[in-house]
Amino acid sequence: MAVTSKAVPATVSATAAAGDKPPNKYRQALPQYTAVAPFFILFAIFGAFPVLFSIWISFHSWDGIGQMKWVGLEQYHYLLTDATFWKTIGNTLIIWVLSTVPMLLLALVIANALHNATRLRTFYRIAYFIPNVTSVVAITLVFGSIFSNNFGLLNAFLQSIGLGQIEWLTQPWGIKIAIATIVTWRWVGYNAIIYLAGLQAISQDVYEAAKVDGASTRQTFWRITVPMMRPVILFTAVTSTIGGLQIFTESRVLFGDTSNIGGPGDAGLTIVSYLYQSAFIKNQFGYGAAVGWALFILIVLFSIINWRLIGGNDDERVTRRAARRVERKIAAQNAKREAADVH
Amino acid sequence: MTLSRRHFLAVGGSAAAAATGLTGCGSRSSLGSSNELSMWTWVGSVNDGLISQAEKAIPGYDGMKLSMTRIGSNYKTKVLTALAGKSLVPDIVAINDDVATYFPNADQFYDLNELGAKDLADDFLPWKWKLGITQQNKMMAYPMDTGPTALFYRTDTFQKAGIDIDPAAVAELAPDWDTYIALGKKVKQAVPGSSITDNITGIYGYRMAQQSKRYMTADGQYIGDQDHVREAFDLSVRVVKEGLSANAQNSTDKNAVVTNGKLVAYNAAVWWAQLGPKNAAPKTKGLWRVTAAPGGAGNKGGSFLAITKYCKNPKAAFAFISWLESAKNQAQAFLDPVLFPSTPATYTDKTLAAPDPFFGGQQIVDVFAESAKKYPGAYFSPYDTIIDTPISSELVNVEASGKNPDQAWADAQRQVERELTRAGAI
Amino acid sequence: MSIERLRTAVGHIVLMFGVLVSIFPFYWMLVMASNTTPDIFSYPPKLLVGSHLFENMGKVLDNINFFGSMLLTLVASLGVTVLVLFFDSLAAFAFAKYDFPGRNVLFAILLATFMIPTQLSLVPQFVTLAEFGWIGSLKALIIPGAANAFGIFWMRQYARGAIPDELISAAKVDGAGFFRQYLTVGLPVLRPGLAFLGIFTFINVWNDYLWPLIVMTDPNRLTLQVALDQLNGIYGTDYSMVMAGALMSVIPLIGVFLIGARSFIADLAAGAMKF
Repeated sequence: MAVTSKAVPATVSATAAAGDKPPNKYRQALPQYTAVAPFFILFAIFGAFPVLFSIWISFHSWDGIGQMKWVGLEQYHYLLTDATFWKTIGNTLIIWVLSTVPMLLLALVIANALHNATRLRTFYRIAYFIPNVTSVVAITLVFGSIFSNNFGLLNAFLQSIGLGQIEWLTQPWGIKIAIATIVTWRWVGYNAIIYLAGLQAISQDVYEAAKVDGASTRQTFWRITVPMMRPVILFTAVTSTIGGLQIFTESRVLFGDTSNIGGPGDAGLTIVSYLYQSAFIKNQFGYGAAVGWALFILIVLFSIINWRLIGGNDDERVTRRAARRVERKIAAQNAKREAADVH
Repeated sequence: MTLSRRHFLAVGGSAAAAATGLTGCGSRSSLGSSNELSMWTWVGSVNDGLISQAEKAIPGYDGMKLSMTRIGSNYKTKVLTALAGKSLVPDIVAINDDVATYFPNADQFYDLNELGAKDLADDFLPWKWKLGITQQNKMMAYPMDTGPTALFYRTDTFQKAGIDIDPAAVAELAPDWDTYIALGKKVKQAVPGSSITDNITGIYGYRMAQQSKRYMTADGQYIGDQDHVREAFDLSVRVVKEGLSANAQNSTDKNAVVTNGKLVAYNAAVWWAQLGPKNAAPKTKGLWRVTAAPGGAGNKGGSFLAITKYCKNPKAAFAFISWLESAKNQAQAFLDPVLFPSTPATYTDKTLAAPDPFFGGQQIVDVFAESAKKYPGAYFSPYDTIIDTPISSELVNVEASGKNPDQAWADAQRQVERELTRAGAI
Repeated sequence: MSIERLRTAVGHIVLMFGVLVSIFPFYWMLVMASNTTPDIFSYPPKLLVGSHLFENMGKVLDNINFFGSMLLTLVASLGVTVLVLFFDSLAAFAFAKYDFPGRNVLFAILLATFMIPTQLSLVPQFVTLAEFGWIGSLKALIIPGAANAFGIFWMRQYARGAIPDELISAAKVDGAGFFRQYLTVGLPVLRPGLAFLGIFTFINVWNDYLWPLIVMTDPNRLTLQVALDQLNGIYGTDYSMVMAGALMSVIPLIGVFLIGARSFIADLAAGAMKF
């Protein structure tokens, strides 16, 4: 690089410009604005504008093809009094709980085991992560055949050990369990990897101190590991909530051959499936837009609840206090050890 | 309403679009290359021989050929989404017997009368022809087949129950639904597990198909809560309570009950011959017969063809559909895949009278032609689908989870009222 | 010491069991794809790999335009990935390393867009693209996702730590303008971050289902996921063939993943820690 030759003219031109008129800080930042512009332009067209437009659409009755008809708040009124809509919220929440709780717990167990394992670490990590990069459509087809009423592997297994068959894909709970299983299978590894990173970020000294202190494994886990992991757990809880509220592909692929994409009795109809069904199967674009807003409100609501439950200001203080306590202990331990060494 | 959707889009969208140069001058053309007429349809709706002929060159119109695509599930969704998407719309689409639900969007299709359909009207069954015409007298859809109904039954099972299997004798034994249910019970006693329908909506749909009125009158009055509907509703519940339904709720199970012989009789439309036993139970060849349906003549299904406004060559498209649905070619479609003609001239075509070995050499055309002749015709409103859906799903609740029928009827009517109010129909 | 050993052994047993659960569906997919449909539907089920794999794969190729769909999916995934890498890293570079009026406000807006679920704008986005005449074309798959808030946020976190201010100052002294600084200083340092974001984006676009299901209306031009769904819809009775299709659709992506798996997983975890 020619360091010297170019430096001088650049400075000169800058001062020259400054001499002509006061420097416009906005004009100077033009390159930076250009750099961030693509995102904001794309967002304006494909993000912000559609959001505003969806309010407009939701005030209409419209099949997406013909004339729009103004109906005011009629779609929202219909939505709130619609038994199917409330059912989809219930379905979504049940599936979300059925998948998120085992998923995060299993992830924590696996992360702990991974943290302690010294051999085969890379192998484990890749093996656990593969489900997450697999397409949902393909894997739902596989799980569909495992849960199938007529030829399912699971029922064949239950039969061979002497238990009766369960009609997984026609019973309300069977359908929800099947969907939750697919979600759990795909995301356990992902969350375990993130928990592992969280575990590795905790200083080894803390554990050493606890050990010397005579803390049991369980105590160490609940008193040190979990509090220190709060931010990471919050992250996974928030992402799982957002993901869980948007479940669609699993039920669509499991029951896609009919217009009833929620399965028998709509037991697997999620909010997003309902949105898709309303807008693109029943061609009620106005209603679909209104369902979209309901989904938005729900996501905001649950993000706040999550934040309150796991993160939040109070809790953060608690975590910090716990950390300080541990630090003090470590200091005390070190002092003791040093004292012991001296003797 | 002062602000239109276009207006809104113009204000918001074009400003943003202009900023990036993404102006909306995308393709507004139909699907396929310039010498190809694209067509969408579903499995089992056309004769393959005729289609492959048109895929080489459209008879009677030089320089154009056909390109047909079969859509798997959710056919109507695909068509309506393509119309809403405004680009890559096919030139020709097949439409099912819910043709009236497309009428609010009749402006998306060519008026076939302007393309010469008028002169061909006399070749077709008048009631079928009328179904494709909107109230504004626009001919939106051109008749394909019809769906006359009849009673299909398994001779081997009937024999085990000691029933005379001669079609005339069976028709005499079960002229109406009451006697038919009694017959079903008799068969079930001899052969446990026997059913006379795959599920509850099978009875409901085919009972409705025999009526001269459906859910609305031509002047927009809702009549779906009246006796003729309630009667069909109660009849379906009765068949289930008598244990004569196979409770097969999805397509895999529906095929299975035909394959494993559980379904011993079925009052169904002509096209079921192919989609039902011929496809699902080829091994039962020779064991089936058809006869006049209990409860009278009926019609269910039977399709239409329409030319979208995106069509690159409407004249060629009309030449194709009028060729495909000519009396001579509809005879072909009867032989394979058993589509019943909408052109009366075909009924006397000798090829139709050929004995069908699958039905033990019976001339099945006679049974269906009789049904087609006697069928009174019924008015289909644009709202029939949104009325039928809640009623059918409540019936499924009765069968699948034992819901109280009166409660189910009340819930269905309440839901219908909600849907119709929202749609602005009542 | 022996307790310690026992604990390690138990840990490995738990982990190995988890690995089996992770891998089993793939094995089962292979079993079903390599047997005939009547075999799959029979009881007791076949548990071993059969000999009909290539026959079933051949049927997939006969029934759907598999390679056409794969090419389309590849073009869409690569198109989005390249654009995202360019736009996101450029924006991230500006946000991370330069102070300009309104920077914090703009970044806050960017973060706020995280809250908007994509499904909220499903209907209006479809209508907008219909007005553009983009429905059914690749543009509908590529352009709306060409820059995203997550990528910019993630790259900014990465760039803040990775690019030393001295390098930028040196480049400035050199007389390099902003874009030259991005090319000569930013990009080389950001390369590992770009690798992560690239794989992440590629996998997401490749596996996306809802959006292509709606916008790709031409049945002859479907992405792999939607084509697989169609295969199941039309030929669902031939389950072993459908499974062969599923297997064929899964293999390329796992291949791509395995190439960069090691650093990808590490970067993902590191990224999550920064939230």
